[in-house]
Amino acid sequence: MKWGGIFYGMKSLGLFLRWNVLQLIPLFMVLAVSAAQTPTPSAPARSAVKKSGTVARKSYPPARVQSGATLFRRDCSFCHGRDAGGGETGPDLTRSKLVAADVGGNKIGALVRNGRPEKGMPRFEFSDQQIASLVAFIHTQKNKAPTKKGGRKGVDVADLQTGNVEAGKQYFEGAGGCASCHSPTGDLAGIASRYQGLELEQQMLYPKHEKSKVTVTTGSDQTITGTLDYLDEFTVGLIDATGAYRSWRTRDVHYKVDAPVNAHVEQFPKYTDDDIHNLMAYLQTLR
Amino acid sequence: MDVLKTAFLLSVIALFVVATPRVAPAQGVDAQMLLHPPADSWPGYHGDYSGRRHSALTQITPQNVKNLTLAWAFQTDQRAEIKSSPLLVDGILYFTVPDNIWAVDARSGHQIWHYTNPKDKGDHIGHRGVAMYKGYLFFLSPDAHLVSLNSKDATVRWDITVADVSKGYWTTMAPLVVGNHVIVGVSGDLDNLPGYIRAIDPETGETQWQWNATPPAGTPNQTTGGMTWMTGTYDPDLNLVYWGTGNPTPVLNGKTRPGDNLYTCAIVALNPDTGKLAWAFQVSPHDTHDWDAVQIPVLVDGDFHGEPKKMLMQASRNGYFVVLDRTNGTNLLTVPYGPVNWSLGVDKQGRPIPNPAKEPAPDGRLIAPDEGGLTNYRSPSFDTKNGLLIVDAHPSWSIYFTKPADGAYGWAGADYDVWGKGVIEAIDYQTGKIRWSHELGPRGSGAGVLTTDTGITFTGDAMGNFLALDSSDGKTLWHAGSGARTQSSPITYQLDGQQYVLTSSGGVMFAWTLPEGL
Repeated sequence: MKWGGIFYGMKSLGLFLRWNVLQLIPLFMVLAVSAAQTPTPSAPARSAVKKSGTVARKSYPPARVQSGATLFRRDCSFCHGRDAGGGETGPDLTRSKLVAADVGGNKIGALVRNGRPEKGMPRFEFSDQQIASLVAFIHTQKNKAPTKKGGRKGVDVADLQTGNVEAGKQYFEGAGGCASCHSPTGDLAGIASRYQGLELEQQMLYPKHEKSKVTVTTGSDQTITGTLDYLDEFTVGLIDATGAYRSWRTRDVHYKVDAPVNAHVEQFPKYTDDDIHNLMAYLQTLR
Repeated sequence: MDVLKTAFLLSVIALFVVATPRVAPAQGVDAQMLLHPPADSWPGYHGDYSGRRHSALTQITPQNVKNLTLAWAFQTDQRAEIKSSPLLVDGILYFTVPDNIWAVDARSGHQIWHYTNPKDKGDHIGHRGVAMYKGYLFFLSPDAHLVSLNSKDATVRWDITVADVSKGYWTTMAPLVVGNHVIVGVSGDLDNLPGYIRAIDPETGETQWQWNATPPAGTPNQTTGGMTWMTGTYDPDLNLVYWGTGNPTPVLNGKTRPGDNLYTCAIVALNPDTGKLAWAFQVSPHDTHDWDAVQIPVLVDGDFHGEPKKMLMQASRNGYFVVLDRTNGTNLLTVPYGPVNWSLGVDKQGRPIPNPAKEPAPDGRLIAPDEGGLTNYRSPSFDTKNGLLIVDAHPSWSIYFTKPADGAYGWAGADYDVWGKGVIEAIDYQTGKIRWSHELGPRGSGAGVLTTDTGITFTGDAMGNFLALDSSDGKTLWHAGSGARTQSSPITYQLDGQQYVLTSSGGVMFAWTLPEGL
């Protein structure tokens, strides 16, 4: 059976991983001890970074990595996985661009303290010491990731190449209705250069940061159009042409939201998975 | 002991207790109080055992709710959001965030004591609250300990281990007290571990029984998982406890665990004295989308298409609303209550049939609802008068991936939310039809639901407004902006002749009441 080989392969991977996770802390100790025996010992690797010019092989003091592992497990693992390889809703940090660009916590620290409310990540009030331990843990996991077999690995650009360009083009121009709002030579020109892989697919399915327009007609028949900034059932707020925020009680005005992005929501129940893969294949030609 | 007889006797006593003003000094929680909570109490996670989160209090009405005013607010001064449902016993509220319990005066909102348990171990994703038996509180900590404390001063009476944190378990739930059993569940789906329910002696901390949802890790071709992280409900007449179980593991890769994966994503009925399984109904056979079936199993007695039935209903995370005969687990109704695209229909037993083509795949599958589900752990409420299960729904779409390189341990794949919104849906329990709905805003809300006999539905929207809606049509009657989204379910009680409604948002607990003299 086709799946037989993969099945047994995965089982042994599972056992390996299970061992790996259970032995997480001792493993860190081993790694850290071996690291400590290299010429860059417990001194914070900042100097080492400057010398080598890369963060890829930096090592951290074992105690710091261990306290980072504990803190990570306490507050981060639910979303990012125990090994930082991704979990419920949170991305794989060992493949994160931000982690790759981080030097000694200069990116991770700010992100953790500010959160990413738009993506559902809360802020954390961590001390400098706690941030340093998290950074040590995340970078250690990142360094280990290439040699690790299995575990959540996210989505590669190569995974998203199963579609058919021609079928995607037909869907775009026909059944999908995409062409009624978008143009391959207009707004989508070069889209595949701006976004790749999973990010492109997410943009295609629903562009989360697209702003809507709103037109508000006040009691005195004044009409104001702007970018919708806030809306609940009680208050409507917009950014007007001068860049100023203005708001009204919804019961005092008439307002009309123009949100072409909602066409994406209407499309969800109509898509087949093949439609999506074909559409991806087509969009990836728009470089 | 004849449990039914005892229960009858207790309910007779309880009627007497309710009718008589309570003048006795503080005594904590007894069996009568749990069976028939007096108006000045909220002695268990759901209030009463039914999980209906419906109150008979009538002071706040659709006509006067617009006058609702802040009685007090309590600042936990913690970054962690309140996800717990408070208890109210002898005029004192008890609520939690991970590693923290507060005892707060329900009249004034001032702190009586604050217990911290900063063990730093285990997952701190959330905490749902404490349970109480006599004068003792029971608190599950993130490192999977059950701590019994004296409610007067938070001194620790005993502290036992209910699961091994080093293996990947943690605990968040509020235990359920039935008779002399403190019933607890566990969390831990980041690893391939079996879930279980355990009954613990409230006096000694000794294990009375344990029911395992899945076989031990490493059993060939068998699933692990089935975590038990939400408080169940209880029918004293049938002497059955009803509990939801979580998703199987590995989570997104189902290939190493062929078949239905019992008893994951199921509703189970257990004898609270023995832990013996009476029946089980699987809401998501062979789940590959992380759709725990731990949402509150709501117990309702009433008419179902002309026949009196003892029912259990659940608005499940997988998008289906199910009604069961809770005497034997027979299915009465299974219908989606929002967008669902992963099933091939419903089988003869009323279980959704998973579509193999909608299992996560290397090139992705578009799935409704998303991983958070069409609803999650916050409580729905059953409105008796209108026959409606009112639920915080989350119509949503997402993409699910798994490939051989993702392995077969823990998460074993990746999924990404695409779009979602929040809607309060009022489901007619006899048909599953949506009687009315109330939009809550983009992404979704996270607020639970409380209904009252006067016809008010208390909840919250996606922007952080507390809402009071008319239970008959969903129209807004009152609101207050709170500054953060709600992650808990409201409660209500009456003290000194004054009805209060408690809602939380962020790390703040708010008590609402009518102005004096109104």
